Amino acid sequence: MIPMRSMVLSSLMLWSALGSAQGGPAPDASIKDKVDTCVACHGPGGNSASGVFPTIAGQTGRYIYLQLRDFKEGRRKDPNMDAIAAALSQQDMLALGDYFSKQKQAPSAFKADGAKVTAGKKVSDAVLCPMCHLGGFEGQNEIPRVAGQQYDYIKKQLADFKAKRRTNDAGNMTSVAGGLSDDDIENLAHYITNLY
Amino acid sequence: MGNSIKRAGTVAITAFAIGAAGAHAQEITNAATTTAKPMSANLVPIDGAMLEKAGSDAKNWLHSNGNYANTRFYPGAQINAGNVGKLKPAFVFQTAVLESMETAPIVINGVMFLTTSFNHVYAIDAVTGEEYWHYKHKMGPITTYCCGPNNRGVAVEGGTLFMGTLDAKLVALDAKTGKLLWETQIADPDKGYSETMAPVVIDGKVLIGTNGGEYGIRGFVKAFDAKDGKLIWTFNTIPEKSEGVWAKNDLTGRDMHRDIEAEKAAYAKDSSFYQTLGGGVWMAPAVDLKTKTVFFVVGNPSPDLYGAIRPGDNLYTDSMVAVDLDKGTYKWHSQYIAHDVWDLDAVSPVILTQAKDKSGNMVDVAIHGGKTGHVYVHDRATGALIRFSEAMVPQENMWVLPTKTGARMLPGANGGVEWSPMAINPKLRMTYAANLHQPMTYHVEEAAYPGGKLWLGGAFKTIPGEEQSGRLVAVNLDTGKVAWTVKTPQPLIGGVLATAGDIVFNGEANGWFKAFDAKTGKELWKYNCGAGVNAPAVSYMVNGKQYVAVAAGGNNQIDAKRGNSVFVFAMP
Repeated sequence: MIPMRSMVLSSLMLWSALGSAQGGPAPDASIKDKVDTCVACHGPGGNSASGVFPTIAGQTGRYIYLQLRDFKEGRRKDPNMDAIAAALSQQDMLALGDYFSKQKQAPSAFKADGAKVTAGKKVSDAVLCPMCHLGGFEGQNEIPRVAGQQYDYIKKQLADFKAKRRTNDAGNMTSVAGGLSDDDIENLAHYITNLY
Repeated sequence: MGNSIKRAGTVAITAFAIGAAGAHAQEITNAATTTAKPMSANLVPIDGAMLEKAGSDAKNWLHSNGNYANTRFYPGAQINAGNVGKLKPAFVFQTAVLESMETAPIVINGVMFLTTSFNHVYAIDAVTGEEYWHYKHKMGPITTYCCGPNNRGVAVEGGTLFMGTLDAKLVALDAKTGKLLWETQIADPDKGYSETMAPVVIDGKVLIGTNGGEYGIRGFVKAFDAKDGKLIWTFNTIPEKSEGVWAKNDLTGRDMHRDIEAEKAAYAKDSSFYQTLGGGVWMAPAVDLKTKTVFFVVGNPSPDLYGAIRPGDNLYTDSMVAVDLDKGTYKWHSQYIAHDVWDLDAVSPVILTQAKDKSGNMVDVAIHGGKTGHVYVHDRATGALIRFSEAMVPQENMWVLPTKTGARMLPGANGGVEWSPMAINPKLRMTYAANLHQPMTYHVEEAAYPGGKLWLGGAFKTIPGEEQSGRLVAVNLDTGKVAWTVKTPQPLIGGVLATAGDIVFNGEANGWFKAFDAKTGKELWKYNCGAGVNAPAVSYMVNGKQYVAVAAGGNNQIDAKRGNSVFVFAMP
């Protein structure tokens, strides 16, 4: 799935920078201010340009809702998100989840290494990632979409699950990540970011 | 059931599908009732006397499990072991929802009420299949459910139908028009509560339990006023003091390998976990009209596999429980597995019947088909175990504790008998149970309460290369001996119908719907419905002719091929 990627990279980046204008419906007036807060870090339409912040465009609405709720209720911690989520009502969180789920995700701009992509797929198959995330890593229900996610963000989450710094998923990812080496994590991140 | 969802050859958690949106958005939006044709004039209000006598009423099928005793024994014999070989389809009713069907249709004077996944209800002519009306529930923004977006049917009283919904509501519909009369919120779906069971209505009370044992709920059975949906009583299936008697062995006497001293120390430090200890009630309760007692079984503790954070017996999980019909107060319980860490819980509905006690006297009993593969026979007055049957499925390595890398034990976490209701034939002294055989490994993982998200504390995994199958088993109520076994190529989920014609009807995931000789298990008839038959059949008569109806919608839990139809059979 690697061919063509580098050739279209520049146009993709441009598309990404243009952001949400054509990428999905406009936010409802009731959450417009809150969407503005989100996109300040997560990028236009939720398409992040930084590995520090995940792309949330095209993420499942249910996953976004559950993560916001976990930040608000303290099951997930982040210096930025804790305070932002604390101010959101349940209705806000559902509406934000719905809004970003309908935004078009821009493909990852990360230049993946072909050998590492291949190695990452092997790791994925070995630890059964697709059993929950599905084969294209598009996610389902409370399992997130991670295809095309920011490379650095994927690496950080896997490391956090492994080290139990992130524990709001009932232990499923800790169980999986516990057996991953640093190389495995790097290869997986190459593979997954390159999926979309 | 905790419903342990494990699709063949996959990791369990994948099949614990939750959330309704996405691919099924079309089934849960645009809530409305549409009318296809005026309701039959034959539809009559159902009074209490009719509901009480449903067990001897061959004309109607008024309760999801046939009667208040849940016997699933149809008293008519027009279709019988001698002629069932000639049974032919009368009609097929196609619903608009292509997803798991677990519905047990209700039939009143030739009018059938059936449900689908995502809480659609249809009223149809039970002879021709013509539609009267179609109700779509307006689903709330949050649904959290394990094991598929299923529904197992409505209950009826007077001219009103009652249904529990995936967003944890109880709705009342006008049976004649399908219009919503009232709805009430049973519990908070954001915390993992949902409804798939058929309620039971008695004396103006609607009885309903809850799903959610995979999400850290605190389970219950509630009674609502049939007139307006007001709450009458709540029985919490998890008491504040949940430690129990620190049972070393299961109810059959096998060592469960608990570290009871460590558990006692942990319990002394913190016992507040009762608020997230699970204990769902998945299936319609049975009601004893003489003693005004409600009987049900309680599902697994939460989290399913990780027991260290919930020390004690985890009362009343994995138990049969009896409560007072009028007040919902505790009468007795009998726990099959204390401190369950395998999700081998209690799901299949309680049946009230009679059986010989240990002295050979015929007594009132309450029976349950367990995920363990045993049928348990209890004294109905005290809950005392009279006997447990021979194992209906292979058992190995019970009770090995789950490990990080996985410990193999049989049965797998779906059972034995899952939610599938059993049926009895009182004359033949038999109960008939649909069983699964799925070899699995049990894996434990430390897991803090995730706030209403799926909370297994590990995983159940089917074992690649090991054959899965099903067992339809007849067990003698008076001896506990297995009378006959029919092995099927796939695990059985759906439930059984027995009739006075000495036939047993049972469906399979490969589309076969079959009739067996109730005495011998000999196959007498079969018809392939083209999608998984994973729902319990019902039977009724219209204008002197007997019909047998069953849904063929496949099943989410074992990933049986989906369909959207109810098949109805009769003699040509």
